[in-house]
Amino acid sequence: MLLFCAFTLVLLMSVTFSGCASKGKEVSLRVNDPAIKDWQLTLNGTREKILKIDDLRRFPVASGHCYAVSTTGIRFGPYLCAGVDIRELITDVGGMGPADQVWISAPDGYLWVFDAEQIEGKGFVTFNADLKEIPSPPLRIILMYEQDGKPVSYDDGGPARIAIVSDTAGVITEGSAWVKWVDKIEIKKK
Amino acid sequence: MLVSFFLIALLCSIAGCSSGMQQPKTVLKVVPAGSLLQPFDEVEKAFEAQHPDVDVQVEGHGSIQAIRQVTDLHRPVDVVAVADASLIPDLMFRIDSTTGANFTDTYTPFATNAMVIAFTNKSKYANEITEENWYQVLSRPDVRVGISNPMLDAAGYRSMMVALLADRYYQNTTLFPILIGGHFAPSLVVQDAGGIATIKLPEVLRPSDEKLVIRDGSIFVLSHLEAGGIDYAFEYRSVAEGHDLRWVSLPPQIDLSSPGYADEYGKVRVILGFQRFSAIGQDRTGQPIVYAVTIPNNAPNRELAQEFADVVIQMAKIGGKGWPAPLN
Repeated sequence: MLLFCAFTLVLLMSVTFSGCASKGKEVSLRVNDPAIKDWQLTLNGTREKILKIDDLRRFPVASGHCYAVSTTGIRFGPYLCAGVDIRELITDVGGMGPADQVWISAPDGYLWVFDAEQIEGKGFVTFNADLKEIPSPPLRIILMYEQDGKPVSYDDGGPARIAIVSDTAGVITEGSAWVKWVDKIEIKKK
Repeated sequence: MLVSFFLIALLCSIAGCSSGMQQPKTVLKVVPAGSLLQPFDEVEKAFEAQHPDVDVQVEGHGSIQAIRQVTDLHRPVDVVAVADASLIPDLMFRIDSTTGANFTDTYTPFATNAMVIAFTNKSKYANEITEENWYQVLSRPDVRVGISNPMLDAAGYRSMMVALLADRYYQNTTLFPILIGGHFAPSLVVQDAGGIATIKLPEVLRPSDEKLVIRDGSIFVLSHLEAGGIDYAFEYRSVAEGHDLRWVSLPPQIDLSSPGYADEYGKVRVILGFQRFSAIGQDRTGQPIVYAVTIPNNAPNRELAQEFADVVIQMAKIGGKGWPAPLN
């Protein structure tokens, strides 16, 4: 009987762990999706540059806590996010002036516009985990390529999406600025 | 004893395993506009009670973003419901390249709504405001007003339309600047061409003073209102009611509720600061508020989706707290 019990337990464990393994495989397949492998970013300032994901990884890593909320209150996160400070990318194509804007867009047709103050991490509304407004701690905008230590999955907007990060955990920002699947960053002179 | 213990543990494990291996429920994915979340919570409960084998999953978005889940993001969605019926023919009566058919070919209008001024007992002058003097109360320098972001939320650009219509209705062209337009740097300028009052929003919509507060979605505006951060908010009547807020109604000539005033509503226009979605332009012209529901042609569960839509339409006719008003 004991032997039977042990066998059954092993069987149950194998079923459980096979479920975990298949989930991991699914994530892996997504990361290797051609849409992600062939991804490139067009940076357009006073000069134009095309970057691949490996080029992004050559910039200094900017990381922090990130947590977003949709217009209807759906929360995404909290995560540990890593990527490139958006200012590094802007500087790489000539920088921006105080009246200039940064237009960030994706192939799904989504566009969001940031002004110079926002690029410095200012002017965002922030919430605590209960979605109550709190004074904003210092924030940075990054082009995120890693979420919780893994490449950003396609479903989460990978391989590169905008994230607003903080050194403080639990700070939520409005998700409209978190452009998914970013493939173009343009500096518009004003 | 040891054997009994293992047997009990084994039976528990098997019970857990067998319940975990039951036939999975059919997932019915429903994507409504944010102002429908509260009533759709009721529909979900009613539908799941009728269909124990169905898991209704409701995911709220702004109306345009709700449609984009189907048209641009190609997610499998069974039911889409929006706060602006005109968006469905505009965005979904076109070919889906993955199927060769339109995203949808039909939709059913099922409710309407009205813009109101929501407030709480904590709001300044809460005991003075009426349907007649609302614009005078909101114009006072110490009163703070909130709207949702017109770039993101239909209630946001409809709030601006109400303020523009108020200019005309009360024959007071300082109203729009005092309530909204004058709180940006530079101020929003009303252009009047061919009898149509038009405002063009800046790309980054950030008020220049504390009189006006803009948040991405209604829930954040209302949260700010309830916390006392603002005194009044432009909001849908059903949402104000659903949040147990006080509100004053506006004249039907300006509250976007009445088909009889459609021509009047059409005399105001808001041009958004940039084309947030490539699928839809920046112009929004005033029209009566009409909610509509549709089933995408590639919905994974068409029959169930139709049943769900029918329940929505029936429950909307009955109405209730938090429901937009039935269509006449």
